[in-house]
Amino acid sequence: MIKITIFGRGGRGGVTLAKLIAAAYFLRGKYVQAFGRYGAERAGAPVQAFVRVDDEEIAEHYAIREPDHVIVLDAGLIAPQTAEGMDPQGWIVLNTPLPPDAFADIFPGRNVATLDASAIAVDCGLGTRALPIVNTALLGAAAEILGLSLADAEAAMAHLGLGEPNLTAAHTAYDSVRQALLPGTIVPVAPGRPPARTASIFDDDIGGPPAVHTGSWASRLPASASLTPLCSDACPAGNDVRGFVQAFARRDYEAALNTILLTSPFPGTCGRVCPAPCMQACTRGQHDEAVNSRELERDIASRASWPEPTRPSRPERLAVIGSGPAGLSAAYQLARLGYPVTVFEADDELGGLLRTGIPAYRLPREVIDGEIAFILAHGVQVRRGHRVSGAELVELRRDYDGVVVATGLQEQRAMDLGASGPRVLRALDFLDVSRTRPPDLHGRRVVVAGGGNTAIDAARVALRLGARDALVVYRRTRAEMPAIAEEVEEALAEGVRIEQLAAPLRIEGDGDGTALVCRRMTLGEPDESGRARPVPIDGDDALATFRCDTVLLALGQAPDDHLLPAGSLPAEEEFLPGAEDAPACTAGDLVTPEGTVAAAIGSGRRAAGLLHTALGGVEEPSLPAPLVDTSKLVFRDVPRVAMTRGRLLEPRTRRTSFVEVRQGLSDRPGRETAQQEAERCFSCGACTACGECVVYCPEGILTHVGNTDCDVDEDYCKGCGLCAAQCPRSALAMLPT
Amino acid sequence: MTRAVVTGNQAAGHALVAAGEANRSARGCCGGCYPITPQTEIIEHVMGASFSKGSFVAVESEHSAMAVCIGASFAGARSFTASSSNGLLYMTENVFAAGFERLPIVMVVANRTVGPPWNIWADHGDSLALRDAPWLQLYCDSHQDLVDTILLAFRVAEDPRVLLPVMVTQDGFLLSHTSMVVDLPPQDLVDAYLPPLDLALRARTDRPRTYGQLMGPRETQRHREEIQAAMERVPEVLDEAGAEFARVFGRRPRGAFEAEHTADAETVLIASGTTVSTLRRVVEERRAAGEKIGLVQLKLFRPFLREELARAIGAARRVAVLDRDHSPGSGGIMWNEIATSLRERPDVLLQGYIVGLGGGEVDPPLIELVLDDFAGRERAEAPVFFPREVT
Amino acid sequence: MTTSLPEPDAESRPRLLRPDSTNCPGCGMSLGLQWLDEALGAATPTLVVPACCAAVTPGAFPASAFGVPTVETTFASSAAVATGIARVRTLNEEADPTICWAGDGGTYDIGLATLSAAAERNEDVLYICYDNEIYGNTGGQRSGATQRGAKTTTTPRGKAETKKDIMAIMAAHRVPYAATLSLAHREDFLRKMRLAFGMPGFRFLLMLSPCPAGWKSEPAESVELVRLAVACGLFPVYEVFDGERYRVNARPDGTPLDDYLGRQGRFRAVAPALDDLRAQVERDWARLDGLARAFPATEPAG
Repeated sequence: MIKITIFGRGGRGGVTLAKLIAAAYFLRGKYVQAFGRYGAERAGAPVQAFVRVDDEEIAEHYAIREPDHVIVLDAGLIAPQTAEGMDPQGWIVLNTPLPPDAFADIFPGRNVATLDASAIAVDCGLGTRALPIVNTALLGAAAEILGLSLADAEAAMAHLGLGEPNLTAAHTAYDSVRQALLPGTIVPVAPGRPPARTASIFDDDIGGPPAVHTGSWASRLPASASLTPLCSDACPAGNDVRGFVQAFARRDYEAALNTILLTSPFPGTCGRVCPAPCMQACTRGQHDEAVNSRELERDIASRASWPEPTRPSRPERLAVIGSGPAGLSAAYQLARLGYPVTVFEADDELGGLLRTGIPAYRLPREVIDGEIAFILAHGVQVRRGHRVSGAELVELRRDYDGVVVATGLQEQRAMDLGASGPRVLRALDFLDVSRTRPPDLHGRRVVVAGGGNTAIDAARVALRLGARDALVVYRRTRAEMPAIAEEVEEALAEGVRIEQLAAPLRIEGDGDGTALVCRRMTLGEPDESGRARPVPIDGDDALATFRCDTVLLALGQAPDDHLLPAGSLPAEEEFLPGAEDAPACTAGDLVTPEGTVAAAIGSGRRAAGLLHTALGGVEEPSLPAPLVDTSKLVFRDVPRVAMTRGRLLEPRTRRTSFVEVRQGLSDRPGRETAQQEAERCFSCGACTACGECVVYCPEGILTHVGNTDCDVDEDYCKGCGLCAAQCPRSALAMLPT
Repeated sequence: MTRAVVTGNQAAGHALVAAGEANRSARGCCGGCYPITPQTEIIEHVMGASFSKGSFVAVESEHSAMAVCIGASFAGARSFTASSSNGLLYMTENVFAAGFERLPIVMVVANRTVGPPWNIWADHGDSLALRDAPWLQLYCDSHQDLVDTILLAFRVAEDPRVLLPVMVTQDGFLLSHTSMVVDLPPQDLVDAYLPPLDLALRARTDRPRTYGQLMGPRETQRHREEIQAAMERVPEVLDEAGAEFARVFGRRPRGAFEAEHTADAETVLIASGTTVSTLRRVVEERRAAGEKIGLVQLKLFRPFLREELARAIGAARRVAVLDRDHSPGSGGIMWNEIATSLRERPDVLLQGYIVGLGGGEVDPPLIELVLDDFAGRERAEAPVFFPREVT
Repeated sequence: MTTSLPEPDAESRPRLLRPDSTNCPGCGMSLGLQWLDEALGAATPTLVVPACCAAVTPGAFPASAFGVPTVETTFASSAAVATGIARVRTLNEEADPTICWAGDGGTYDIGLATLSAAAERNEDVLYICYDNEIYGNTGGQRSGATQRGAKTTTTPRGKAETKKDIMAIMAAHRVPYAATLSLAHREDFLRKMRLAFGMPGFRFLLMLSPCPAGWKSEPAESVELVRLAVACGLFPVYEVFDGERYRVNARPDGTPLDDYLGRQGRFRAVAPALDDLRAQVERDWARLDGLARAFPATEPAG
């Protein structure tokens, strides 16, 4: 008689496997018996099945105690007891990706066969990924071991009405099962002893908790995930936007600030001037409106206590050329890494465009001054009024151990309008002079050509300096203007006017004064920027004339070649040529196309990191976590709440002063709009300890430790996955055990 | 004692209510009630009673009647009900459950033929169909026997050495609907006889247990061994209960067997229920005529006391069993079990008779016919229907 | 800050459903028991469980995954056994609730007479039916609660008949409170349980209970399936007071039936019955809406 014992789990086809093996022999003319030993037959509970094969009628009706062969369907059931009572010549067939000799410790001296029946089943689409049905694959393996043919296996499957993909599974298994006689001597297994005493209903200790350890059923367990949210992904500075907003929501302002300071030393600045791509990407925007991360960042800068700056500790001396946001960001990161840094700035004051190109009503002096002071407090030296030439760069690369070039775009684009002089100015020059020696524009009509923030700022400053009219002329429409939408709103409220679809041609003068003649434009196909191309409309009637005394040109910037030879600009993450000199790389507007403060900050940080590794430093590997799949976020039941914007000064007040226009969100008790705003953040991809997973665990075995990090009792987790499915922020994943 | 003329049902109702009321100082009494001829008046009496601490439920079926009793008993109350015939079989699975759960429920069964075809008259086939349920079964032959046995039943059932439910039977119509004189026990004596029930195993909120849960083969076997052990303690407990009964009520109740004139009998007749009363008359007359004949009233059918019955039969060599029941393909159920008592006595001629099946009238002439047949026998054969309808 | 189910201390009672029960992964009934536990707070119920999946939940004697006293009964008997227990508790002035926890088989079919009688007598029993729309414990045969078109082991070509309206049956008994419970509407679920605990008389709660094994669905989707069942209108979430006053708690939102049916293997062959199902859902909602308008519940929504 051939006797086979099968170890499996409820609902996963162990009994069917017994029937299949029996059928194979039956079709060969044998007497057979196949049955399962049933208990509390729930899906996942351990279950045994048995097969007897003989040439005569089988009369035994009890479990097999001394099998010839044993088949184990679930790797979790493999244990020395598996071989209890087995014939020494018999085979142990295991469903596992491991080779037979991996089990030399458990089954020394035995014939062991292994195959990855789960993988075969998954490939063939039998069952689900979490619960593959492995029985037909194991039939194939068993046939091989037992000396049956594939035809026998196929006939058995047909007998039970099983077609493809089971046939393929059996074939694959038949061909791929690995077999070995393991070294060592067979260790007899002590039979499991029956309990000393059978319980009685009259015993005192009835009704205690079970000891099934259902955790062994699980093929996957929940683990906290921390996925990259869209906001952080969109931030050019690489800020952990979700991180600081969530810290704010927890009222941990220092943690919020420290989160920002990991990647940017300019929270107050960015919290005022950044176009906030994080807000454009914000998932909440799909529900009601984005979270006002920008104004939260600004709030954090003033609310939280700033940490103690570190001091230099490394020997290598580094130089940064340019003290705009990119250069200062690089200096800050390098200083934090412990390097003594010297910043070279051509101007007398630090900050670059932060200081010269952004008016005080948007970015107050004290904000920049404070943030620059913090950076310098890390032991950063400064050489003001020191313009570095190309020749000096070479020297610096010998005197210092590394250099970051972050000189920005020094050229302002211009156009020939047929006139020049005081009437036509470059807008950035105008902004710079307006803060040091502001001209009196009373009575003047000012026209600004351009559509970016510089154009808008120039117009608003012009009004503040007394101009009676400020008109922005832009060759596309408002929708394509690169200026921040809120800035445009504020400008309009202050009285700035905008003329769309008009491109400057020339200045004309007559007895009454000057006027700017523009050509009317229309929108065509998108250009390389992705925006509709402005197309001039021909003909003299497609001209527009605007009276003006002053024209400000805000047409963008370009690199000059006073420092680096033209055409030699390296890409980001690359070094300047000259391997024998100290490594040098670039950062900021020189190499980033966005032209924003945030982009510059991120660029500076990456340059610092590049330099650090070039000097032998080890950067902590930071593999970015996978991006949140927004289709897995669930917020349909969250009440719709509009974004709260910070208070603005009245336009009439604004028009005549350079006091900061935006007053920020509120923290007055009873009107904590900043807190409310932070609490609107969904925390996509990161746990907030909301407890949804806890209440949706059917076993009640999920807890939260501290603030986040779901903790599951692995003794009992069955791997159902409800916790991960119910997490509204996709912060739990089911991982294979 | 209150002497009254009442029907068997009224007497049974009185005894049950008194027993329930006696638990008023503990957790009270409760059960489910459903009517069926010929016991309906019992449950009507219970439903109409005013208990100091009792609550009975007019349920929608016998199955639910026993279910309510099970719940009430688990909650620690004294619980009882009554049924017959098809109603008894309808509650079969809960009857088994009550016994396996070791709940001391008492049920009065007014024995009635099982149908369809419908037959409302006396037949022991209903209670005997449940002989394999873990219940005591006691067959009564008179109103007084019924009243006394009901009280004994509570005392034995609730004894910690037993903890099994008890069926107390009376022949349908012959006792249930017949008015006879009986001493009805007053409440104060019932109070003295039946101590308040404190069921150790009952469901308590301070002790989580799952009653009736899945039980494996080994635990089940232990459980059944314990039930068998409890059954084996019944004779002793019944004797003590009888002695205590005599002390409280001043009257000795019937025991597991009542053996009369068996000391010198050559012929012994065995029966249960009212048949025994009729047998007594005949036996008296025949003894007066010099015949050495005796009778044994088989009162306690479960547990079945093989050895004790063998002793009760004594030295008689001719034993006739009169069954008011029939197990098709086998014969009289009592005859079947009594045969095991006499396995050590191959010298005894044991003959079974099916008498009074389906409510057939059992009167002295019929008994004479049976005895004539028996007297002429040299060999025993399969149980004989009397009177024979199929020739 | 920790968020977890309250741990028992020396004073309070053990968990109602302990870990290590043998229920399937993703079982709706397990989740229902956790929320029942939560809603009960410190009260210790006596559970009455007929033959059904919950009878196997605690495992084999002598250990038990139920941490409260539980009486397991024959299939049809839970409401009657609960009656006996509840009557004796009342006699002894014990306030602990007696709660039937029964599957659809023991409620809609074999237990219907018992349920009806206990409801009609207005027994002090809370009866909760966890409805997985099959005889789950015996491997998934059809019950009166099975949806039309569903494949079960005894309706291999899809059930021909409509799902029995047990709520209407309970309303017809004029029970003080009958309500449906949705695992996807947690606040409503807990509110109704607490409301039911506070009422005397017979209360009936019906919970749609996903059964991944019987429905051939993903265990992780059990709650989402309930949400879809409610959203597409197949499982109305509502309350009835005294069988006369109605309140709808959650409305269908136009989600197509297919969204719900398509995620379950048991509805693989439902296509022929789909039009009938849609029409039935519309009719049922027209009737329910009509009842709610004509006989609105005046009881506070809580």
